[in-house]
Parts: sequence; C-alpha cells; structure tokens
Amino acid sequence: MINQVGMKAKTIKKWFEVHKWTSLICTVFLLMLCLTGLPLIFYEEIDHLLGKELEMPAAAPGSKPLSKDVVLEAGVSTLPVKAVKYVSWDVKEHPGQMFVVVADSAEAPIEADHYLTMNEYSGKVMDTPPNEMDFMLVMYYLHVEMLAGLPGKLFLGFMGFLFFVAIVSGVVLYGPIMKRFDFGMIRTEKSSRLKWLDLHNLLGIVTLAWASVVGLTGVINTLVDPALERWKASQLAEMVAGYKDQPRVTGTLSSLDAAVKRAKAAAPEMEVSFVAYPGTVYSSKYHYAVYLIGNTPLTSRIIKPALIDAKTGELTDMRDLPWYLKTIFISQPFHFGDYGGMPMKVLWAIFDLATIMVLISGIYLWIARRKSKSAQLKRIIETSESLTLSTVGDDAAEK
Amino acid sequence: MKLWGMPILLSVITIIGLLLAIMGLGIWHLLSWVFLSYPVYVMIRYGINYFR
Repeated sequence: MINQVGMKAKTIKKWFEVHKWTSLICTVFLLMLCLTGLPLIFYEEIDHLLGKELEMPAAAPGSKPLSKDVVLEAGVSTLPVKAVKYVSWDVKEHPGQMFVVVADSAEAPIEADHYLTMNEYSGKVMDTPPNEMDFMLVMYYLHVEMLAGLPGKLFLGFMGFLFFVAIVSGVVLYGPIMKRFDFGMIRTEKSSRLKWLDLHNLLGIVTLAWASVVGLTGVINTLVDPALERWKASQLAEMVAGYKDQPRVTGTLSSLDAAVKRAKAAAPEMEVSFVAYPGTVYSSKYHYAVYLIGNTPLTSRIIKPALIDAKTGELTDMRDLPWYLKTIFISQPFHFGDYGGMPMKVLWAIFDLATIMVLISGIYLWIARRKSKSAQLKRIIETSESLTLSTVGDDAAEK
Repeated sequence: MKLWGMPILLSVITIIGLLLAIMGLGIWHLLSWVFLSYPVYVMIRYGINYFR
C-alpha cells in the first residue's frame, strides 16, 4: 500500500516536472503569439479602421463585369513591370474586384512584387497598395515566423507542441490538486500564491479545449511550407509530366478569361479563388494554375487546382489536393476563428486573453514557488488521498 | 465525476461550439455563439471570486 502510494507521489512529481519545463520553455513565445494574435483576430476590421477598405462604386444596373483579360491589361499597362504573377478574387467580401500581383518576372522575389486592385466593371485601377510592412503585417510575420522565415516558423511549431504537452501535463496535475475541492474554488483568504494557483487552474481548465484546438491547428499550420514543397515535387510534377521537356512558355499567353471559364466548367459547383501564372511557385512553367474553392464555410477551405495549358487554353489536369494539404487548409479556420462572424471573433479574443492570464499566472507561480521551494509539490501530493507528508519524505529519502 | 464533470462538460461544449459554426450559416452561427459563451460565462462566474 505504502509502495503504491509512493509510486503515485513519484508519478505526480514527474508530471509536475514535465509541466514546469515545457511551460518554462514555451511561455515567452506563447505570450508573444497570444499578444500578436489578438489584433490578427480582427485583421479585416482594423484594416477597415485604418482606411484601407476601398469604396466600391455601384455598378450601373444590368452592367456586367468586363473580360478578365481587358481588366488585367488595363491594370498592367499602368506599371513599368510586365509579368503577371497572381490574380485573385474574393467574391464574398470584395465582389467585383480583382487583385493582381505583378513583377519584372514570374520568378521575381516577393519583395519586388507590385499590387493592383482593379474594378472589374470599369476596368479602372482602384488602388495600388504599397509592398511594405505596416503594423498589421509586422504582427502577422511576428506571429507566423518571428520575422525569421521558415526556421522561425518551424521553431514556433515546436513551441506550440511544447505548449500542448504543457496543457496535457497541466490537466494531469489538475486531478490531484482539485481532488478535495469544488470546481472553480478560489482561496482568497489564504496566501496570494494559492489565489493565483486557483486562478491558473480555473482559467487553464476552462480554456483547455480551445487552447488545445488553437495550439494544435497552429502547429499544423507551421508545416505548410514543407507540405507545399512535397506537393509540388509529387502531385504537381505528376500532373505536368507530359510537359517535362518543353521550354518555358513564352510570348502571348492564352486568355485568362477563357482559362477561368474552362476551370469552372470542369468544377461547376466551385468558385475561382486565384490564378497562378506560369513560372510562379504555385504553378508549372507551362500552365495557368486555377485554384478553385467550394462555396460553403467548410468546402471554401478545400482547394482544388486545375492546370490550364497557357498556350492552347486546354485543361491539362485537375485533381484534389493530397490529404496533408487538405488537413492544413481545413485546420486553418479553427486557428484563425474567422468562420463565425463578429461574435465568434470577440469570443476568440476573450479565450486569447484568458490564455494570456494562464501564462502570466504560470510565470508568477514559478517565481513564487522558487521562493518557497517544493512547498507546492508537497501540497499537491498531500492533497492526493491517503498520503501524508512523512511518506513524501520517505519517498525523497529513498532517492 | 465531481472532479472531472465540469472539465469534461466544458471541453465538450467548446468543441461542439467550434464545430457548429463551420457546419453552416445563420442558426449554426447562433448556436455556436451560445455554446462558446458558456465557458466564458463559467470563467466570469468563478473568476470573479478572485477579486473578492
């Protein structure tokens, strides 16, 4: 019996160490992620407040959007650079607008890109957003990669994994700590350390599911770059295998408008999200890659690429993405919290703030515990049933 | 159950709330907000004792 209880005390101590170390390593980064994530929840709204949202002049009744080729040409002709990289649409949020990315060449780095926002009804340039970091982009790149590229991204993924381990070990410790207490108790009459511990436990256990979902989907998202690389090397390469020995497509390309129509005809229930031009990282050297999305909240996350020969305008191939890219894209809304309107964004922000409180109270508890070393652990073990301080002492002596 | 009842209930309600909003618009969103509001209510209901 004593031996069994001794095992239990040892087990608790092990989990406590796991919780302490995983938390200590990831907390600073998690705090950064929670703080930068807060404004990112409201990305669109903040952009709107900063006056970045464009007024879309009402189109004359009965008028139809111009041919995409005409709109695109009208936009590109205003710039000295001539190579189109991407064209995209946002039918739900910005109907009638066409977003264009141009550069000196399709292979040019992102930093050299120029942006155009076109009115599809008038063919006029609505805006030329500068390609520079603003506040929200700094928040975004801090959150995604700490402004350190792919290594930063993968590092944050690992921190997210540690965060999840900290959550799991925290739940394991919740058992022995709360065994004799009612849910949600906060011991205000005792030391301020106990008060903070109770708050840490309360907010930690309430945000458990949310923090796990947002944490794990965040980790999944950090794998998007290697996943895209793998897809390009396998499925995309397979789709364009017949073009392997052909030189890169040059001269006048086939019609963009026709390419979009051709792709839509092959997947009538879907909408076109964006088109990657030949030579860009999201296409082959010979094709328009037309990326289609579904039109329900769930299917709009599932992307389907159609490859259109940029010379003949014929459909070369259209396939579903492999499971690993589907997993990443379906996991994204559960990380962003952008799929349930403004009330969900507010709830997301509250959960985020609660998580910040869990992190801060955790740091406080670590500092306070160092002052009265091992007292907390003893209390956890004490609280767990049929244990006395003396058995813990024996246990320690055995070691 | 006294120990794990609330944690399990809160987790299940949160997960259902997260899934409801992806199922559709309108009533689905409304239900999602109701479900996700419950853990927030619990945080406030018990967290308030911290300031007592």
